[in-house]
Amino acid sequence: MRTDPAGTRPAGRADPARRGPTPTRVLRAEWTKLVSVRSNAWLALGTVAATAVTASGLGLFVRPEDGRSGSWVVTSGFVVAQVGFLVLGALVGTSEHTTGTARTTFAAVPRRLLVLAGQVGVTAAAALVTALVALGASYLATSPARAGDAPALDPSVPGASRALLGFVVASVAVALLGLGLGALLRRPADTIVGGLVLLVVGDQLLAANPGRLTDTVRALLPSSGARLLQDDAALAALDAATLGPRLGVWGGGAVVGAWVLVVLGAAAYRLRRHDLR
Amino acid sequence: MSAATTGPHHSRVASTPAPGPTLGRVVAAEWTKLTSLRSPWWVAAVTVVVTGATAYLAAQASSSDPGYQPLGDLTVGLVLAQLGALVLGVLMGTGEFRTGAFRTTFAVVPRRWTVLGAQTLVMAAFALLMGVLATAASVLGILPAARSRGIALDLTAGDTPGVLLGMVLLVVGLALLGQAVGALLRRTVPALVTTLGLVVVLPLVLGLASDPLLTGGDPASLPLAEEVTGTTVLGTLEALTPLAAGFLMTEPASATPVAGAPDLGPVGGGLVLAAWVVVLLVAAAARLRARDVR
Amino acid sequence: MIEVEALTKRYGRAAAVDGLTFTARPGTVTGFLGPNGAGKSTTMRVVVGLERPTSGTARVDGRRYADLPAPMRAVGVMLDARSVHPGRTAHKHLLAMAQTHGIGRARVREVLEQTGLEPVAHRRAGTFSLGMGQRLGIAGALLGDAATLVLDEPVNGLDPDGVLWVRRLVRELAAEGRTVLLSSHLMHELALCADRVVVIGRGRLLADAPVQEVVARSERAGVVRVRTSDPQPLARELLAAGADVAPQEGGALHVRGATVDDVGTAARRCGATVLELGAESGTLEEAYLQLTRDAVEYRTADDREGAR
Repeated sequence: MRTDPAGTRPAGRADPARRGPTPTRVLRAEWTKLVSVRSNAWLALGTVAATAVTASGLGLFVRPEDGRSGSWVVTSGFVVAQVGFLVLGALVGTSEHTTGTARTTFAAVPRRLLVLAGQVGVTAAAALVTALVALGASYLATSPARAGDAPALDPSVPGASRALLGFVVASVAVALLGLGLGALLRRPADTIVGGLVLLVVGDQLLAANPGRLTDTVRALLPSSGARLLQDDAALAALDAATLGPRLGVWGGGAVVGAWVLVVLGAAAYRLRRHDLR
Repeated sequence: MSAATTGPHHSRVASTPAPGPTLGRVVAAEWTKLTSLRSPWWVAAVTVVVTGATAYLAAQASSSDPGYQPLGDLTVGLVLAQLGALVLGVLMGTGEFRTGAFRTTFAVVPRRWTVLGAQTLVMAAFALLMGVLATAASVLGILPAARSRGIALDLTAGDTPGVLLGMVLLVVGLALLGQAVGALLRRTVPALVTTLGLVVVLPLVLGLASDPLLTGGDPASLPLAEEVTGTTVLGTLEALTPLAAGFLMTEPASATPVAGAPDLGPVGGGLVLAAWVVVLLVAAAARLRARDVR
Repeated sequence: MIEVEALTKRYGRAAAVDGLTFTARPGTVTGFLGPNGAGKSTTMRVVVGLERPTSGTARVDGRRYADLPAPMRAVGVMLDARSVHPGRTAHKHLLAMAQTHGIGRARVREVLEQTGLEPVAHRRAGTFSLGMGQRLGIAGALLGDAATLVLDEPVNGLDPDGVLWVRRLVRELAAEGRTVLLSSHLMHELALCADRVVVIGRGRLLADAPVQEVVARSERAGVVRVRTSDPQPLARELLAAGADVAPQEGGALHVRGATVDDVGTAARRCGATVLELGAESGTLEEAYLQLTRDAVEYRTADDREGAR
């Protein structure tokens, strides 16, 4: 009926395994996907702008007697920035599922955890770049305030340079938390609300009712990651005020890191176990 | 149909009630559309349960304090209920645009403002239901703690009826706020981020500006708290945010205003929140009229 | 080559696919046919590893899809045209797919050209018409130059030019020795481009045979239609000769068990004027409707048995 199939084999069929998906290739593909959606670029730009504007605005209200440091003034935009990083991660995690791209992606790369790992890589990279730019923009935006009443940025203040680095680390952690929640819940609204409860509202609610139990829970929420932005004096003040565990210098980072790992682990489990539509 | 019809045409019989869409009919249709989805019921159920559970936990935690006032924990669950109301509003406001169902809706009822009005009414009705249930859950939540201390709850005395009403209205107001932003922006994620930014993050930023003790101030180096007299710029801005204004409705009328904030009172707070909703709904209506829907 | 064996996929208690076995062979276009909800898409999703079978297996080139070292180069997949982020351009969408397998940009340009998407390559997929989205899906399936293609409803929403193009493309791909599994609910289309059809209904196999064979099973196949000035004597004549005769509207007769020559001779014998005479041929559509109808009847009979 047809010509002999063996005689006209399409090229490339006999080639060995090296032509399939590798971690590097998946990473490149995920990066293309991330940067080719215009809204992601707008989101990053918006995050940088909102962070710098918030920091400069807050800088206007800092008086020398407030006891705030220069690093606080520069990084104070984090309260707004974290929403941007959460949404960035949430979009990477959910857009596969909301747009149906998952069918294309996972048909091309059936090893699903490789895709998740690729998403972790590109989300971390995008968040890192965005956070560095936001930090630089905040530094510039707060320079008038720091030249005025607000304290200057003094690297000799214990923990000041760590606080600047902490802004970047905490931003990346929030983005990865958003990615994990997004890949787990697969719906952006659920992811953003859930993330905001963990990062902002839960902390607010518990802070309104201080006590041993509430302060302990508070310390164990990912909102503890914001401690990475504090210098030594501010951390000491926080530890002195709490009735729960004292997290010290690195405890907040450890808590948010653990959250990221647990949520990504849960997402990986769901991805492996559940069907994709 | 009937043989007794005097007119020569059946159309006269058919046209006795107006054949086209009326506000009442569109409201009925929107109500059917909202209640036939699963998500609003889920959001409402989770919100009510979480609100009651929060009130219960807070009351249990504080019931051992000396001079414990059970009614003080009545509104604590609203901190989470506000999210439920906002999400419900945003999902309903964007839902038609997200799913493409608006094509059907506007083809059937070309008068778009009628549709928006009906959606607002339906949203308000559903949020009212959710608000009443969330408030009831809060009351139930504080009962065990009150009973354990032998304190009888009187919900009709003093400011309490006003507080309960304010709680319900806060839920309705925030749901309408979410719906208005959703109808204006038409896409879930931007609408959600805008709403949550306006309601949750903005007060936080203003709080950071006015209170050095929040995240990272050193209390030791602070000067003694001076009595703030009159209103400050920050205090005024903060009171005019949707959340702070809305929460004024849940304060007893006799409560003193926050330092630096103008004394709006429960009614004033409610009016500020209502103004936010109206402005955003008008913007949504203007966009609906001016721009094509695709 | 795709081998599906005793495949069952349940969602809760409902079986979307129920003990399905078939093979799609190289050099052949296998048409996958069934009413909406029959389990075609579910089967295809299981074949490409998006869903796990409840029991049974689906293999491509003798392996589970997930075990293929380079899946895109082995199987070209197009499941649903809406498997694209609406904010991404066609070019970037394909590029990201290509990058997972280290496929170069030249190949991306090639498939864009081949599918006629070059002019819109840098437009966001959300602005595409149904037909353009469909072409983008096909472009994605061609990208890996795979020996097996799985295409779910590829002609959906295409204009007549597009339909013709897909038909030629699919024939060419099979002629090159590739395996093509293609689902459609457009019978006419399948009859024109498939060599073999696999018909399923409610998740079960109803037929797996060459197209001609399935068509021959339709009721109308082998019937001779004749219209004469005076049908009565001719009918008697044919009945006497041992044929089955069914009177139709307008004085026509449907004759079974006689050839066109037999009927023509009989008409002359009884002196009737022949106005129309010809052999009817069945269509895939009729055969299919008959198959699915039989399946439903079989089921209901089955259910009654069970209820007793």
